[in-house]
Amino acid sequence: MAGAGRTDTRLVESETTETDAVAGVAVGLSAVLFALAVAALFERVSLTGSLFGVPTVTLLGGLLTALGVAVIAFGVGSRFGYVETNPDPSAGLIAGFGAAVPWVLIGGSVASQTLGLGVGVGAVAGVATGAVAFAASVLPREDLGSTVPLGALLGVTGLVFLTGVIGPTWVWELGWAQQAAVTAEFLIPVSTLFSALYGGWASAKAYGGFGARGRHMGAYVLVYVNALSIVAFLFILVAFVVVQGIPGLLNGTEFGFGTGPTTSVFGVSVALPVSVPFLMNGVALFNDFQGVLPAIVGTVWLVVGAVVLAVPLGVGAALFLTEYADRGRFTQVVEVATNGLWSTPSIVFGLFGFAFLIPRFGNGKSLLSGMITLGFMLLPLVVITSREAMLSVPDEYRDASAALGVSKWQTIRSVVLPAALPGVVTGVILGVGRIAGETAPILLTMAGGTFVPGSQTADVIGGFQFTSAPPFVANPELLQATSALPYQLYALITAGVGASSNVGNADEFRWATALVLLVVVLSFYAIGIATRYYFRRRLKHT
Amino acid sequence: MSENTTTTPQTQTAQTDADPSPTTTTGETVEQTRDEWTDYEFRGEAKMAVEDLDVHYGDDHALKGVSMEIPEESVTALIGPSGCGKSTYLRCLNRMNDRVSSARIDGSVKLDGREIYQDGVNLVELRKRVGMVFQSPNPFPKTIRENIAYGPKKHGDLDTGLLARLLNRSDADERDDLVERCLRDAALWDEVSDRLDDNALGLSGGQQQRLCIARCLSVDPEVILMDEPASALDPIATAKIEDLIDDLSEEYTVVIVTHNMQQAARISDQTAVFLTGGELVEYGDTDQVFENPHSERVEDYITGKFG
Ligand SMILES: Nc1ncnc2c1ncn2[C@@H]1O[C@H](COP(=O)(O)OP(=O)(O)OP(=O)(O)O)[C@@H](O)[C@H]1O
Ligand SMILES: [Mg+2]
Repeated sequence: MAGAGRTDTRLVESETTETDAVAGVAVGLSAVLFALAVAALFERVSLTGSLFGVPTVTLLGGLLTALGVAVIAFGVGSRFGYVETNPDPSAGLIAGFGAAVPWVLIGGSVASQTLGLGVGVGAVAGVATGAVAFAASVLPREDLGSTVPLGALLGVTGLVFLTGVIGPTWVWELGWAQQAAVTAEFLIPVSTLFSALYGGWASAKAYGGFGARGRHMGAYVLVYVNALSIVAFLFILVAFVVVQGIPGLLNGTEFGFGTGPTTSVFGVSVALPVSVPFLMNGVALFNDFQGVLPAIVGTVWLVVGAVVLAVPLGVGAALFLTEYADRGRFTQVVEVATNGLWSTPSIVFGLFGFAFLIPRFGNGKSLLSGMITLGFMLLPLVVITSREAMLSVPDEYRDASAALGVSKWQTIRSVVLPAALPGVVTGVILGVGRIAGETAPILLTMAGGTFVPGSQTADVIGGFQFTSAPPFVANPELLQATSALPYQLYALITAGVGASSNVGNADEFRWATALVLLVVVLSFYAIGIATRYYFRRRLKHT
Repeated sequence: MSENTTTTPQTQTAQTDADPSPTTTTGETVEQTRDEWTDYEFRGEAKMAVEDLDVHYGDDHALKGVSMEIPEESVTALIGPSGCGKSTYLRCLNRMNDRVSSARIDGSVKLDGREIYQDGVNLVELRKRVGMVFQSPNPFPKTIRENIAYGPKKHGDLDTGLLARLLNRSDADERDDLVERCLRDAALWDEVSDRLDDNALGLSGGQQQRLCIARCLSVDPEVILMDEPASALDPIATAKIEDLIDDLSEEYTVVIVTHNMQQAARISDQTAVFLTGGELVEYGDTDQVFENPHSERVEDYITGKFG
């Protein structure tokens, strides 16, 4: 069988043939099915309803069956020489296992549940079906092996949906002590999703004419879908929060000259031309609309404070470890310690702040304690990533500088640090993402409350007071208890039913808080990316 | 090369005063090295004097008892098969080997009669006076202009910082003059004069090599160590670099490693031949070494019979 019907490898691909077009359509169909499955999983498409006038489940079943038939037709057509391809002697072990797994599940569940033969028989039947699928993939030539078992899988899934064996209202009670059931809402999208992936894989192989090029196409499709679904997931998450949060955020928004609150910038009072109460108010009895201003300001100051504290310390420690300390027992111990510190649960940091920092800074929960606690949390990541970045600066740069008679510190400052900066910034970005969303340490070190009055908005810059006696500068604002977004969100959620009387629609208020938190964190992220881009451009070819 | 290692047992030390006639170990004849073959007598001062230099990398004995005096204001070529320790030797002359943690260096190296392997030597000052061009080009990830101006700036000879500019005391003109002079010397100016503010990593391999030569010249060292400075250059650029080395030898002391025999013969005043195992086998007047070498192995190497 090996090598039979092998054609010369085409060096130049001839123009698109009809078979290419059909295979391309099959790949496209898989993509559509994949998208439908994802939409159904997130309840953007109703399974009980209909699409384009056809009940959704029937549509899915029809498309799956069509895709399965196309895939099989392609393989058989290639085997009997109707389609010009370049198949290998076998589809290979990976394709075999790939096909065996779903067939084990199908064989097992049909025998044990549909036919009611019990778990033992089910297991045997599952393994047997899987073995058949494995053999059917591995033994025949690649064009048959990589299409027929998968095409049959698609066909069976499609027919199950088409015939209504599994319909929109289907439920499988697992009969466990806990209430557990597999519902159609879960099973149909998930099986469609996986079937679409398999279909896409098989038809992409067919599109590439099997062989090395076909495998390349198959892998390409899988990797591409994978990357795409990550982007899609992020997009769905953000979109979800935005849609839910917008009404609460814009509650009571007014545009127009003089509608906004008055702020003073360098002594000049300006009335903002826009008023978004949710962002510009705290909570007070006589407010028309309530807001989360203190928490926004608190979060921003927390992140700024933690970064100011952790970055110089962390970069300095990393410098010492990479450039000055001899590589040995000591640096290993420090490395283990920093890694351990980074894995330490945040509540432990919070407890440390509560027990150690609070008694030392004004004996009450305060912004300063929160900053320092989060700074300690950020520190290990800054050390780890900075160290990594400095180690990856080539030694050639250091040698070149030393050979010019430049001292070590100047070399570090002018060559090593600039080359390491993009990596350092990446570390800080990751760390900020984590600490900006922390709830537990804030709960213990700076608290605030469920509804924070506007008077608790920390005015750190305006809070500095200069005195003629030591310590010359004081800032009571830093010692004030204030709030931060993740903590306020947590407090709002746990506050329960009674909350609504205070802030109008409590649900809207929560979602709007979540949206603001997301925007604040993403803004820090954007600042970080821009900084990294700036430093990187200075190192790269221009 | 491998042939040679089998016929030179490790137990045999360099520099023996033993009978120079062939000794038989594994049934083959082995020629020994003799002190007078490396005893180069020249007129004038020795800029650098190396005595009994041994270098180990871990257990690997990379240089064995090398002694040689390098005369002032001349070009000294180091030749020898790959892996024989030429770069190692060169790196000892400005103590760059100190930066290799596994390296152990014994022996003495003097610069203008002052021992450089002793406590209290200021390495920064030493490397200012003994500059180096590395075997593989290593420009900084900075612009071409910054690459050249880097050394003088760090030495405080050029100040183009923000404060200097604000005080109208910036040395930008001096810097640009220096950049142009160094690039012209290194035969690179014509190619890069209109892209001085581009990143140096965007240059071709050969251009990077010349940039590194220009960078080395920028700090005006007394001794210039060059490790195969023309390995990636076309004949035209090579000729220019050779002219440069010729000019440099009027004021500077140049030590150059090369794999190109003709080049060594063309540009150097004296030639040192290292052979596999890290021994200095012959050192003398270039003409003498190339035309009438004492050692048979050196003759074989030069005429291309091995190595
Ligand atoms: N950093 C190092 N660590 C360990 N061993 C080294 C190191 N540098 C060189 N060596 C060893 O020392 C010996 C001499 O190396 P060296 O680089 O001096 O050779 P070379 O004569 O410059 O060769 P080439 O002509 O190929 O550049 C080699 O055996 C090499 O493996
Ligand atoms: Mg070398």
